Amino acid sequence: MIHAVKHHPALELLEQYIEASLAPELSLAIAAHLDLCPHCQRIKMDLEAEAGTALASLPEAQTADTDWQQMLDFITAQPEIAAKMEKRQPFALQIQNSEILLPASLKPLLQNKLKWFNLGGISTAKLAGEDQHNVSLLYIRKDSEVPQHTHLGLEITLVLKGKIYDESGCYGEGDLLINTPDHTHTPRTMSEDCLCLSVLTAPLKFKKGLTRLLNPLQHLFY
Amino acid sequence: MLDPTSVQRHDVSNYQRLGIQGSMSAQPTDNAQWEQVLTFIAVDRDKHAYSQLFSYFAPRLKAFGLKMFGNEQQAMEMVQDTMLNVWQKARLFDASRGCASTWIFTIARNVRFDMLRKKQSRKDELSADDLFFDGDYPEQEGTDSNEWDLWLMAEKVAPHFAKLPAAQRDVMEKVYLEEKSHQEVSEELSIPLGTVKSRIRLALDRLREAIDDPRS
Repeated sequence: MIHAVKHHPALELLEQYIEASLAPELSLAIAAHLDLCPHCQRIKMDLEAEAGTALASLPEAQTADTDWQQMLDFITAQPEIAAKMEKRQPFALQIQNSEILLPASLKPLLQNKLKWFNLGGISTAKLAGEDQHNVSLLYIRKDSEVPQHTHLGLEITLVLKGKIYDESGCYGEGDLLINTPDHTHTPRTMSEDCLCLSVLTAPLKFKKGLTRLLNPLQHLFY
Repeated sequence: MLDPTSVQRHDVSNYQRLGIQGSMSAQPTDNAQWEQVLTFIAVDRDKHAYSQLFSYFAPRLKAFGLKMFGNEQQAMEMVQDTMLNVWQKARLFDASRGCASTWIFTIARNVRFDMLRKKQSRKDELSADDLFFDGDYPEQEGTDSNEWDLWLMAEKVAPHFAKLPAAQRDVMEKVYLEEKSHQEVSEELSIPLGTVKSRIRLALDRLREAIDDPRS
């Protein structure tokens, strides 16, 4: 899968990702982007190398020698584990009557049958998430518009198939759209259907007229 | 026990003579040697080699754990789980993919993530192994053409140079201002060649981001 991915996570976000200080749901969106983006794969490895060097340069924290010895003896008494490094492979899934190749990171979340909730040209299926963080698939049929909305938190959208357009441009496979509470945007599709991964850190608030009525439904919707 | 007839093992003996045994005097970034030590552990289950690695990394992992968790007990749990993984899965270490310290960092990070997840008793649909994939992605081509674009924008770049992390700025100054080769910089700073290259890439990315950012 070679695409010219144009929209990447900021370095700061990648730094937080490699330290595991992001919310797991956000890390998932980054991990799926990495599956699709060789550029960021390389940055990930570079950042991890820097973090490793930093770790190796830390001053030693003190612990009694006997405690270290005890830990060492315990560890070396354990058997080897025959682990094997796996290759990261995309996998195919039947979604809305077409077979779509998805990034490997999403596989653990797609073991069960998806429950789609349909509304106009848009279908969503919740994958995971509790409390403030919500992970879903978003299937937007061609020539459809997602009602204009702002967010109370961070919204990360990763395009998995097709193209989506908003006020700031066009996004294709592997592109990451990150919207903060300052953004209002109206994503739409044009001549082809679009499948996205959507991660929300807090519920959405729709802005426009009738679509305000959608607000109570948004726990189903996103 | 060390076998003096093996050439590679002989290197480890040298290593001990140099006094690099995890004491305060050890060279923190002497990664080429830690990589060899990991190989002995993987191939021979060499407890002596492992204890050297342990005495260097365990106290530093503890410092890392204290910083991340803020308490002794969880820090030590992280150290033990991390070092246990190193012992049990040493065969997974692949020197062609990075330094020993990088590998150990990624294990510690994953251990910490899973500890936090467990503490929150979240359903384990999101595990560290899935989120922080540590294997091979499909092959990619290198592109250094970006360096050229950056040269052409030297004036715009200059103000951001000072804001680079010190380690990256050092490397960038030597390469771009003093016009030294990557190899020369590697020798001068006693850091692996790969580290020189990765610092340049990270610095270039940071600069590119700074230039693209409309707020700057």
